[in-house]
Amino acid sequence: MASRRRMLLKVIILGDSGVGKTSLMNQYVNKKFSNQYKATIGADFLTKEIQVEDRLFTLQMLILPFLQIWDTAGQERFQSLGVAFYRGADCCVLVYDVNVVKSFDNLNNWREEFLIQASPSDPENFPFVVLGNKIDVDGGNSRVVSEKKAKAWCASKGNIPYFETSAKEGINVEAAFECIAKNALKNEPEEEIYLPDTVDMAGSSRLQSSSSGCEC
Amino acid sequence: MHETEQHDLSDDADYAASQHQESTSNLSCDSGQATDPTESEVVYSKENVAIHPSQYASERISGRLRIVKQGSSSFLSWIPYKAASNAADSLGRSLNSSVSDKDINLYTIKAVSLSDICSIRRHIPTLGWQYIIVVLSSGLAYPPLFFYNGGVREFLATLRHHVFIVRSADDTNVFLLNDFQDPLQKSLSSLELPGVIPVAKGASLHNSSDPGSSIVDSVRVNSVTSSGTSSVSGYRGRLKQKSHDPAHDLSIQVLEKFSLVTKFAREATSQIIREFQDTHELLYEKKQKNSAALPSVTISQPDVKPNGTQRKEDLVETPDMLEFDKPSLVWGKQRQPPLTHEEWETLVDSEGRVMDSKDLRKRIFYGGVEHNLRKEVWKFLLGFYEYDSTYAEREYLESMRKSEYETIKSQWKSISEVQAKRFTKFRERRGLIEKDVVRTDRSIPYYEGDDNLHVTALHDILLTYSFYNFDLGYCQGMSDLLSPILFVMRDESEAFWSFVALMERLGPNFNRDQNGMHSQLFALSKLVELLDHPLHNYFRQADCLNYFFCFRWILIQFKREFEYDKVMHLWEVLWTHYLSEHFHLYICVAVLKRHRMKIMGEQMDFDTLLKFINELSGEINLDAVLRDAEALCVCAGESGAACIPPGTPPSLPLDLDAGLYAQQDDEVL
Ligand SMILES: Nc1nc2c(ncn2[C@@H]2O[C@H](COP(=O)(O)OP(=O)(O)OP(=O)(O)O)[C@@H](O)[C@H]2O)c(=O)[nH]1
Ligand SMILES: [Mg+2]
Repeated sequence: MASRRRMLLKVIILGDSGVGKTSLMNQYVNKKFSNQYKATIGADFLTKEIQVEDRLFTLQMLILPFLQIWDTAGQERFQSLGVAFYRGADCCVLVYDVNVVKSFDNLNNWREEFLIQASPSDPENFPFVVLGNKIDVDGGNSRVVSEKKAKAWCASKGNIPYFETSAKEGINVEAAFECIAKNALKNEPEEEIYLPDTVDMAGSSRLQSSSSGCEC
Repeated sequence: MHETEQHDLSDDADYAASQHQESTSNLSCDSGQATDPTESEVVYSKENVAIHPSQYASERISGRLRIVKQGSSSFLSWIPYKAASNAADSLGRSLNSSVSDKDINLYTIKAVSLSDICSIRRHIPTLGWQYIIVVLSSGLAYPPLFFYNGGVREFLATLRHHVFIVRSADDTNVFLLNDFQDPLQKSLSSLELPGVIPVAKGASLHNSSDPGSSIVDSVRVNSVTSSGTSSVSGYRGRLKQKSHDPAHDLSIQVLEKFSLVTKFAREATSQIIREFQDTHELLYEKKQKNSAALPSVTISQPDVKPNGTQRKEDLVETPDMLEFDKPSLVWGKQRQPPLTHEEWETLVDSEGRVMDSKDLRKRIFYGGVEHNLRKEVWKFLLGFYEYDSTYAEREYLESMRKSEYETIKSQWKSISEVQAKRFTKFRERRGLIEKDVVRTDRSIPYYEGDDNLHVTALHDILLTYSFYNFDLGYCQGMSDLLSPILFVMRDESEAFWSFVALMERLGPNFNRDQNGMHSQLFALSKLVELLDHPLHNYFRQADCLNYFFCFRWILIQFKREFEYDKVMHLWEVLWTHYLSEHFHLYICVAVLKRHRMKIMGEQMDFDTLLKFINELSGEINLDAVLRDAEALCVCAGESGAACIPPGTPPSLPLDLDAGLYAQQDDEVL
């Protein structure tokens, strides 16, 4: 049964500064790359209307800063920003730059940050997607994180789907966000009841061994 | 989440005092004693009630306020005296009246049905005249009616016999008429009981996080109740929201001040009135949702004491309108053309000293600076130059600073690549800067294109700064602040020292513990609470009180919100610190206020609001917002300043020695 109701899917995009989050989001939404995008201050926000399995959704994408500092500043008069930001998140995208080791090493911190701030009810099964960006740079010669290493990490964190992308060349961006949307949909508890096949897939994808791409 | 400490209790005393006054006031003097031969019955009549069309005493119009009953309806009227008799002030002294009969007729309130009145706001200052503002259901408001002989409370008491009145849950000085939202109230009012009517309180009262909800206020036993079941005590949730008189609840006061200047700014006023109206609709809505809420506010009939001694305030009335006669009450001044070279030369003496820095700052505050003059004037505004320095002194300073700059720059310039390999922190810091300068204003011709030398200069200045202030280092946003400065200075050393001067004040914005940003966002929330209470309530209800959506505005002084030349104009206005060091916060309030109806009307949640505010970029009318902010800043006055904790950036830090950036840890680049 396909509901025609337009729904909101909320996706949080995290990763070190400069890995290409804003570029990826703009490539996906506007189908173009510009090197005039400015560094994100505060938060970036874009939405896109998408269709998944005959249903219309509004995909809400938020690029967020690292919040722990903010929150540990410990001023009680401010509510935890994490709560405000992450409320209702359906999927979390972690981005690193395949040419910068540190941005890969930090994936763990970003994941932890998300789990702490969002505290999803079922952290083990909360959908993440990892993107290794900027594979175009120098024809891949300056790359320092191998695909194998990245996939191993994703596998160790509960088979997180992994994509290698280039926001600049538009490589794999569409596919990655399709997977992101589907994963976000999986997280939607209400709908699982009406879409039994989605539940099946969620279960089976967890059983499969690590592989590139989205299994849903 | 305990806001309680933020409010002091002085207003409790204020409230108690007013209650006391109510109980000792003399009711008998005006109401009910007039008789009229016509069919309609005059149930209230008050002489010497005046309208002040402007701040000039000579333009005040006195008249007679009446409530007339005709059948089952009652009407309010205010008929001015003839022009001749208006040529005297309230103390009987004759004035050079400039009021014409035409003017007088313009303000006449012929007969407005009480059922068309939405609310009445009373103002009873301890010094100066009492007045009321009558707001109609249509959204129109009459100018304030000043009771030269006092008696606002008696007026309201009389009114209570003829129309259903409840006291606003949000402001004890606002009385809502014909507010039949609550079925209980409706039925009570249909009983036409005189006196007490319990009012269901608004939502916030029952929200456990509401600081006001724990405040129990003792309310006197109501003496007129006929049913004997009326509540005798209640909560007063809004009690603590007021700040001290005379500025309490400025969001309403702002409205009043603007309605004072209708003659000058009819447009602005009518917009505010509309907003005010909408606000009230919002309040109704809230009330309706919570009609089950029971603790009640009791509006008590004032006890009538037989020995009606005249109130003190009636005796100390003076013709000087202490609060409202300031000329600055006019809506933000017309913007002026920017300061020119010729003008500038008249402002400095022969040796180059600025003769009157306050005057200069004022001039720039209202008009900005011509572009080719910025290079010189900005250095004063930023504090790199002293106002009383001479040409010669400044020249010397420049040359000293130039070599100093080269020295600091050479510190990192001399780090070889081999050395850098083993200097992770340096490499990472440099990497961050490299990544950001290529993303800074590249669409501006000055920074356009590959291998742009100015982009390299940005890089060098920022890296040098991160050595000059190693503890603070480099943070995202700094390149945005530097870009217009370099664009104006067109010289690395001069841009560097100007940037250093700016960072003296804005450095805390980039503090790792975010304290500088926290204190500004906190101050902003207090200002909104003061200047737009309904919007504040909305943000609270929508869980948006962290004001994170204004983060970018404040961090980089609206750099991303306006076009490049507008940014430069805005910055020089802000840097004058003319009306307030924190004028940028009033700009935030002004922008939010401009969009308040959309924000509240569309019930924006945190995400939607963030997106909405982000997308305002490029859509804000700077001149209009500057004028709004000026008016808000003037209206907020001391109460506004009190919202901003000492040491809030861009104020200079309280304790300069205390290792400003000591809390940095190794993660910081
Ligand atoms: N060659 C190449 N460059 C890229 C790619 N994606 C982004 N960039 C460049 O990398 C820089 C950073 O990209 P952004 O998209 O702004 O990075 P970000 O993650 O949003 O960074 P912050 O806003 O600082 O958090 C920019 O100069 C982009 O032009 C890519 O796929 N290939
Ligand atoms: Mg970005």
